[in-house]
Formats: sequence, C-alpha cells, structure tokens
Amino acid sequence: MAAAPRGQEAAAWSEEAARLVWGGAVPLQVHLHDADVTALPPPPPFLTLGPRIGYFPLLVSTIKAHFSSSLPPGVDTVWFEYKGLPLKWYIPIGVLFDLLCADPERPWNLTVHFRGYPADILSPCEGEDSVKWNYNNSLKEAAFIITGNSKNVMNMSQADQLAMWESVRKGDLDSYMNISTKLKLGPFEEDFLVRTSSLEPRQGSDEPESPGSVKPCRVPVRLYVRRVQQDLEDLEDAKPVSDWESVSYINRPFEIRKEGGRSYIALEHALETLLPEFFSSKLTARAADPEPGATTPDSEPDDSGTSPGTPHDEKPASASLQETDVAKKTKLKLVRVQGIELDMDIPFLWVANNLKNPECYLHVCVYVGA
Amino acid sequence: MAGSEAEQKVVVHVRSAGNAPILKQDKFKISGRDKFLRVIEFLRRQLHQDTLFVYVNSSFSPSPDELIIDLYNNFAIDGKLVVNYALSAAWG
Repeated sequence: MAAAPRGQEAAAWSEEAARLVWGGAVPLQVHLHDADVTALPPPPPFLTLGPRIGYFPLLVSTIKAHFSSSLPPGVDTVWFEYKGLPLKWYIPIGVLFDLLCADPERPWNLTVHFRGYPADILSPCEGEDSVKWNYNNSLKEAAFIITGNSKNVMNMSQADQLAMWESVRKGDLDSYMNISTKLKLGPFEEDFLVRTSSLEPRQGSDEPESPGSVKPCRVPVRLYVRRVQQDLEDLEDAKPVSDWESVSYINRPFEIRKEGGRSYIALEHALETLLPEFFSSKLTARAADPEPGATTPDSEPDDSGTSPGTPHDEKPASASLQETDVAKKTKLKLVRVQGIELDMDIPFLWVANNLKNPECYLHVCVYVGA
Repeated sequence: MAGSEAEQKVVVHVRSAGNAPILKQDKFKISGRDKFLRVIEFLRRQLHQDTLFVYVNSSFSPSPDELIIDLYNNFAIDGKLVVNYALSAAWG
C-alpha cells in the first residue's frame, strides 16, 4: 500500500516489538542443589527456556518432573539460586537475568532447591497462585499510576481476568491483546513516530483507542539499581550480587509533560528525571545546556555547541553520548531493558510502549559505579 | 535530594476492611526508607494474625519489597498513605 498511513506502519512495528518481547526467553541450565540429591549418580542438569516475561515458580512443574527420581520425600518449597543469591520469584525472569548476569551467561546456570526455603530473604510463595496474585496486583498498581485508580482492572469480568492471566502464563500475545486493549492503559500518548513524522493534522489513526479516550500521563516504572565496582572496565568482571540489599528496588513513575505540543523525551532525560541521585554529576556538567529533554529528532539542537548548523543526518546520538561520557563514568555504567542495552537517545515513550511487561510496568535495570 | 526525601517520615493511615478488628491507633509515622513489609509485619503483630491481606487505597496489594517513600509519593492522598487490611482477600 503506497499510501498506507504512517500510523499503521508504526502500529505494525509496535506489534512486532511486542512479539519479540513476548517471544524472548533465557536459556536456563538448572542444577539440583547437592543437599537435595538423594540418588547416585546425581541427575544431569535440566535445560529449558525461561520466558522473559515469565516467572520462576511457573517452571517448577516441569523442573520437578525432571528431578523427581532424585528428590527426598517430604513437602517441597521450591526456590532458585544464582551464585548464592536466592532469586525473588515475583521479578520477571528476563529482569533477573539482565540484573544479575552483568555479562549475559548462556545458558544461565542456576541451582534449584526443594528444601530450606530462605523465608528471611524471599516472601512466601505458594506456586502459581502467588505469581498470579502478584501479577494482578502489579497490574492494578500500574493502572492506578496511569489512570489514578484501579477501576479498569477491578471491573474486569472474572472470565477476562482469568483469560488474561492464562495468556501471560502461556505467552499468548493475541489473547492478551484482546483483553488488554479493553483496559485502555495505553499506549502512553501516541506513538512517537506518528506524532513527529506526520505534519498533517491527526486524522483517523488505526489505533483501537478513540480520540476521546483517557490520555494517560504517568508511566509506571520499576527500576533495579545495581552497584558495581567504580573502575569496572569489563562487565565480565562485575562482582556477583551477593545480597539483595545491594540492589535498590525503586518504583517511580515517569510523568509525561507536553512541551509545546511535541514532547520528545529521550531515554536519557527520563532516567535523569527518575534517578536524579545517580545523575547529579551529569546534571551539573550540563547545566548550561538548553533543555536537553526538549529536543526533536528531525531538528536536533546541537548539543556540543561547537559546530552550529551541522546537519545531524546520521547518528545524532553520538555527540551527546560522547559529551556525557566523562560525567557518566563516575556513576552510570549500563542501562538494560528486555535484554537490550538501549541507546540513550531513543524516545522514552517508545521504550515504555513497546518494551513494557504485560502488567504495564516498564522494568529498567541500571548499573552504577559505587 | 531523593536521598533526604527518603529519610523523611511519612504518615500511614491504617483502616480495617471486611470484619478485621479496628486498631485504636489508626495513624502512625514510618520512615520512608522502610519497606512495605514493615507495615505488614506491624499489622500482623498488632492483630495477632499470621495471614493478613494488606492493600493501598482499597485497590492493590504492593510487594513487601516496595519502599514506603515510593508508595507515599505515588499513592498518598492528602498527605497520608492509606493502607487497608483484611483477614481475607478483599480486592482480589
């Protein structure tokens, strides 16, 4: 279609991104903890794929089946561990991998325990029910941030609520979309591409949202800030996370403010706003710069100030990245979302709309030097 | 800035839901640095209940790991974080 509206193009692209996020998985090699082995020889490790948007307790039945002949009798309280750290079951698998494996290890070698649940570190888990409870409550929490209440989710029919959970559990994006569009929790504003690339007035976009629908103004974000060595050169050398106290779990929504009708918000600006304590040095360094967040991709103001008028047709990101490198060295090391090390100039709203998890939260892993 | 903000104490207003007993003192101050778990444990102790369902704004049950300051900043109403507790699941 020669005259296909750009909105359609962007929507198709968005759907493709969602498919990639939903299809993403971490190859796992699960070892049975020595203390749980009652058979000789010990069972071989179990290889499986952990969906990025999935949760560890959902893998338990298949893993247990594999190890069943080696397990001691008694009641199971299953938990997973990576390099001595018990894994929090309510954090999506993909987020745990991005956060704990500085240098992505494939397969990811984990240990499964069937006894000795570390109740002082992990909140109690009763299998799938707990995960489902956590999912529904996170979704309600996200809805509250987006719309100011949780009614959309609380008023869902039992059938829809169940079907939505099933879609997440099975990784079935199509059924998820059927139900989630009814919740009207997104997209956050319009798709960035639609807004900036079409100069004609907004006309019938193909999005299911009608023009009169509620415009969300806060994006729910969960941030996981991991401290690594200040002088870390190679991610491979990052010291493993030995306890959860060294990871800050921060929940701060990002407020979308329109600036002159067009609001191009770079990921970098969004993170500066969300985590001022880790960007402080950088803010000082750039204090003289005119509004770093108010730039647009097609008319990018020259950040460096050294060559005014230079057309930024290629890699508009490089200048600002280099410039901020010095300041960043002191603090920010890495930002990872859905396994991707994102370019800091990418539009934040694109990230939020396309890389969010099914419960409408955007999970961002941040590595800082400390 | 965010650091000093987290040190501030915030007011939590606890309200019973369903047939959970009402506490004599329904407002208390808690450090922003604490986790939501602190509130859950406090209520469990006060009510002598091992199982308690604890919600914010009669809507959702946050993770015990969430920081009080985050919940306060995101969901407080009139300067108070409203926490509801029930003996059985009240809001899903």
